[in-house]
Amino acid sequence: MKASTHLRAALLLLALFLASGLLLEAALGARAEAYLGDPLRREFLRLAHAHGALLALVNVALASAMARLETPEAWARAIRWGALSGALAVGLGFAGGGLWHGPTDPGPLVLFVPAGAFALLSCLVLVAISKPSDRAPRASDSGARDDDAS
Amino acid sequence: MAGSRPWLAVFAASAVWGVVAILGLVAARSEASAQRSALGPDASSRASVAARAEATLVGSDDCRRCHPQQHASWHRSFHRTMTQRVGDPGVELAAPFEGEQLVYGGFVATMDRDEAGRPRVRVRAEEGGRPLLDAQVELSVGSHRYQQYVGRVGDDAEAGRLTRLPVAWHIGERRWIHLNGAFVEPESAEGDAEGWLRHLSRWNDNCVFCHNTEPVPGRLELAADDAAPRFETEVGEYGIACEACHGRGGAHVQAHANPFARMLARGQGPDPSVAQPARLSAQGEADVCGRCHGNRIARDIAEVMRKGDGFVPGASLATHSRPILPEAQIAGTEGLPFAARFWPDGRPRLSAYEYQAMRGSACHLEGELRCGDCHTMHGEDPDMQLRAEDRNAPCGRCHAPASLGGHEGRGGHGGHQGIDGRAPDCVDCHMPRVTYGLLEGMITHRIDSPDPAAWLGRADQPDACTQCHVDASRAWAAAAMPALRRGALEGSDARGRSRVGEDLFGGDPLQRNLAAHALGRGEASGSFAPRLALLIEAMDDAYPSVRWFAWRGARELNAGGGREPRDKALQEALMRFDYLAPVERRVEIVAALRERWGAAASFGIDATRREALVAGADDEGLWIGE
Repeated sequence: MKASTHLRAALLLLALFLASGLLLEAALGARAEAYLGDPLRREFLRLAHAHGALLALVNVALASAMARLETPEAWARAIRWGALSGALAVGLGFAGGGLWHGPTDPGPLVLFVPAGAFALLSCLVLVAISKPSDRAPRASDSGARDDDAS
Repeated sequence: MAGSRPWLAVFAASAVWGVVAILGLVAARSEASAQRSALGPDASSRASVAARAEATLVGSDDCRRCHPQQHASWHRSFHRTMTQRVGDPGVELAAPFEGEQLVYGGFVATMDRDEAGRPRVRVRAEEGGRPLLDAQVELSVGSHRYQQYVGRVGDDAEAGRLTRLPVAWHIGERRWIHLNGAFVEPESAEGDAEGWLRHLSRWNDNCVFCHNTEPVPGRLELAADDAAPRFETEVGEYGIACEACHGRGGAHVQAHANPFARMLARGQGPDPSVAQPARLSAQGEADVCGRCHGNRIARDIAEVMRKGDGFVPGASLATHSRPILPEAQIAGTEGLPFAARFWPDGRPRLSAYEYQAMRGSACHLEGELRCGDCHTMHGEDPDMQLRAEDRNAPCGRCHAPASLGGHEGRGGHGGHQGIDGRAPDCVDCHMPRVTYGLLEGMITHRIDSPDPAAWLGRADQPDACTQCHVDASRAWAAAAMPALRRGALEGSDARGRSRVGEDLFGGDPLQRNLAAHALGRGEASGSFAPRLALLIEAMDDAYPSVRWFAWRGARELNAGGGREPRDKALQEALMRFDYLAPVERRVEIVAALRERWGAAASFGIDATRREALVAGADDEGLWIGE
């Protein structure tokens, strides 16, 4: 994934989760029983909206940070995928866990939330500690093409 | 970072988590499957009942961790505050205990606090002398209509006993009353100490059962003639908490300790680790409610006095006890000791017999009508815990509106008009207020169709029609019914002698209570003046409960549902009346009321008729001490 693609995808993700806020407001305005009458669902959909939007912004920040810190491209490629999929997993995990939940707890889809969070955390740490001078991993290690390496 | 692998570094933790999550889900599903195999398909299965009977109690605080909404709705309920222990966190007694005094029957009760701030009740004769009663209050019972108090009397402390005290705080009126004024009994003579204390009763093997969760009386001696047994009483929780209806929660908490198991709980059908009354059969749910809302006789009284009733929600209540019915008998008594608690058609006359009433209703037996169709324990309004939706909705499930000639229309089938714009609905006619309890006229839970013609010539049971048409005779109602069924409102102008008026003076005390209650209700027909005149006469009744209904009815009638009373002078005169005051004082006020407002023609009940009715009234057949 190119840096520009990552940035565009992050902005689209931001748009998606901001738009979900509009849906929640509409549900509130329409006094939708499936939303207001189900506190667990309501809480998790709000978590999805907030986390999805926030983590999309984290992706935007990561894209900018990787450019400024000159993260080696082979690392950057994995980080972009990790950060984007992590944000998506957290947002959709909260939403899915809230939409299809048990009597007292969110549904199993919420298990995507820790998975996404771990990926995003890893990405943040990797961006922080990687240096432009880091040796490019061997193609057999990373699956990256030679010309991807910085 | 030399030699590291970017994809692995990014996704390793997520992958590890994924493996953990999958293994957790698989293990949880397998565990749940094993539990279901062990406990059976639902909470009614024999294995589930056996396991839950032995499970530990967890308490409502534990339930809150997973069920906060249900806990919050229960916390608002009168069930929670059914019994409260003085001094426990959050407990606020309804009564002030700031030195109030109740002067009644030749004695003065003082309700105050000791030096440590603990509430107490002390009773002394009006003229002084030895204290009749000196009790530290330990528990309160009730929080809706009136609050009773339980304390230690005499050697109670050494024997582990607690005693229900003879005074209570009336919450609506914000006043103290003697329990003679709360129950349906005549008053004892002025200065009669034994009579004053006749409502002292042992909490440990009486009140404890239906006012607490998982009570164990712990009676130590059980000789039949043991008048002062010792107790080691325990309750799972004071008041009616989660485990009273759902059963002991230990098995459920254990089954759902694994978070993966909780995530998979959706769509797995009934949970055999806990009773969910709404998922039991209509009979099973009624058994849960009927444990308390249906007075019963234990099959093994000695065992119950030692260990509690042993009922597990989901099991059959009949295993442990039988409901009190008119024909019920108990060892050591003659005749039918409970017959007076039922109307001649078998319908209970008292509250706390709702189970028996439901079990006598075709709607429940054949139509599977459930307690939960009308009531919810987790709704918004704690008053009667009714569902928020249309109270007639459950009726419409079987009785299609179209087949009733416009049930949804004004007045239901027949187009019955109402008072003040509110037409009668299903409940008004098919569940009339012919049940007495807690100084209220309550609806019956035996559902049937009114048929006043069937009871013509009888004075031993009220009917739905004349409980609202308080100005009319039963003959009038019987004549009007065929026309009403045709949809024509053709009641005759010749209303005859008021059935309720006849009951008010000629009925037994419970009939008189209900008659006075009916006359004071806003929904009743008939003009103001005669209804008021009848109620004023009833304020002279020998039974305090009748006087209470009559006085309250007159007050509400005069209030007319508005902010300002119809007649301010009447309101002031009524407010001077105390239904528990000495007879001389009451007579004086009633005489003044009668002189100014009691002369109206009263639905065919003139003074001569009233005297004849009073002379023939039955005051001996009914004593309701609770």
